Amino acid sequence: MVDFAAIRNEFPILDQEIHGHPLVYLDSAATSQKPQRVIEAESEFYRTINAGVHRGAHELAARSTTAFEDARAKVAKLVGANAEEGEEEIVVTAGATAGLNLLATAFGNASLGRGGEAARRFALKPGDEIVVSKAEHHSVLLPFQELAARTGATFKWLDLTDDGRVRTDNLDEVITERTRIVAVTHVGNVTGAITDIAPIIKRTHEMGGIFVLDACQSVPHLKVDFHALDVDFAAWSAHKMYGPTGVGFLYGKREMLEALPPASFGGSMVELAWMDQPAQYMLPPARFEAGTQPVAQVVAAGVAAEWMMAIGMDRLEEHERMLTDELLKMGDIDGIRIIGPRENVKRIGTVAFDVEGVHPHDVGQFIDAQGIAIRVGHHCAQPVHRHFGLYASNRASCGVYNSIDDIDALLEALAKVRPFFEV
Amino acid sequence: MSDFGMGEDDFEQMYQEVILEASKHPHGKESFAADLAREDAGAKTGEMTVRASHEYCTPGESHQFNPTCGDEATVHVEVSDAEPHTIEHVVWDGHGCSISQASLSIMVDLVEGKSVDDAMDLEQLFHRLMESRGKGLDDENDEDKLEDAIVFQGASKYPMRIKCALLGWEGLKDALAKALAAKNS
Repeated sequence: MVDFAAIRNEFPILDQEIHGHPLVYLDSAATSQKPQRVIEAESEFYRTINAGVHRGAHELAARSTTAFEDARAKVAKLVGANAEEGEEEIVVTAGATAGLNLLATAFGNASLGRGGEAARRFALKPGDEIVVSKAEHHSVLLPFQELAARTGATFKWLDLTDDGRVRTDNLDEVITERTRIVAVTHVGNVTGAITDIAPIIKRTHEMGGIFVLDACQSVPHLKVDFHALDVDFAAWSAHKMYGPTGVGFLYGKREMLEALPPASFGGSMVELAWMDQPAQYMLPPARFEAGTQPVAQVVAAGVAAEWMMAIGMDRLEEHERMLTDELLKMGDIDGIRIIGPRENVKRIGTVAFDVEGVHPHDVGQFIDAQGIAIRVGHHCAQPVHRHFGLYASNRASCGVYNSIDDIDALLEALAKVRPFFEV
Repeated sequence: MSDFGMGEDDFEQMYQEVILEASKHPHGKESFAADLAREDAGAKTGEMTVRASHEYCTPGESHQFNPTCGDEATVHVEVSDAEPHTIEHVVWDGHGCSISQASLSIMVDLVEGKSVDDAMDLEQLFHRLMESRGKGLDDENDEDKLEDAIVFQGASKYPMRIKCALLGWEGLKDALAKALAAKNS
């Protein structure tokens, strides 16, 4: 048995009052809170072993390099990726957005002929197609929309069902032999719906395309195995999985990373640099990690990954599924419409909703006055909102530290919103 | 109590009855702009045109958007050609939270029929009020000039809501500037 009350006590930020009420934090889809051990890991790094990694020969440099690479291995283990030296499949980035932009830039570079013959599989030209879904966060939508504009490729998308799931009934029409890249979210950051990615990946590969997964909302909540899923690339951030801000990870199949040209250039990614000869770049992951990395944060993210595995992703999933059951009861409150799947099937504990007659900013302010933090706005996913005929919504999202009491506090507050605003 | 000094009293000070009422029955609101919640709105945003104006007036129109929440307001003014330039007509279209909607409604009541110079003075006073972090204006005469708009003093305590209250006024300032520029061109 996992003691989830003890887990909650590991989060110092939760032990405070907001506006005279105990803090109830239900905005983990925006960013999760951090356990004490993650907070300490970062400062401990600075107190004891801070030094440049992969450079210098002194003892601290050796220790910090080991800590950095150990963290990469822990993160790799969390998502079922390779971590052995020479086989690494995890690239450190500045966040999920940075990882997705890295990919889009690298594909663009391949389209210009960079990376030679090996990189031709990533090259785009007019007539080729890039496919996303209408459920995408702007950090997937925009880098690939821009890539299409730069290369002349056609930009297409998978539509959504009425309850906001990515449609997979017409894959043969949307993903064709002209499709080179398909980028889809694993879990909708608004709807909380888990995408049925298996048939999308299968179809993409049958057509010879590359599949990119946005794993921001899945890795913190679900047991994820990128090898088993057979995704080619996946990007996510550390700060939504109980780790620090400013760091994220890009997974790539080893053969893909080896063929991908770099997107960012500078120190620590080049083997030989000349004034009058082309540079020779390092093997992955170093090839994609130009410049000084956020080492302390990566080390702390490794601690977060290890901590999640110690709890057990199965048990974490089960706990959050129980919270989701409770959260979905909001649909019974008069005037509240859930934006996304209403049933607790193939979804996570991220629930967006509309309160009839009350703008999300007003809902959020009312809820906040009770010490409860939820997200309001378009959650960086405007097309999803338009799909539901909305500009913005409210979103409550769970983390491992939430309890049934947290959800009940929200439900109690939500029942008072429309009466207060007299609608 | 919290360290931030904001409790339910602050909340109720922000959502005064005047605001709730104005947001439900806003003055000067008409339907003439594109609706960004519609999937076909993207193609239409480029087509927005300033509507025909009253006789002896020059129109100005400004679209304001708050990207954090998607709230938007298109403010349309008509300014007399005769001096002193006067706001003969002001209407708006848009959607948003009760703070932004009420602020637009109260703004219409305040500036319609006033000279452009007086309206711009009010805009400056309102801006100062919203930057006062809940303290209000030092001069009682200034507070009186704002009439009902003084109720937004409560909202000025909340940094995230200042932009909501200012959305319409930003639109007014820009629309007036465009109308005056059109007269001079």
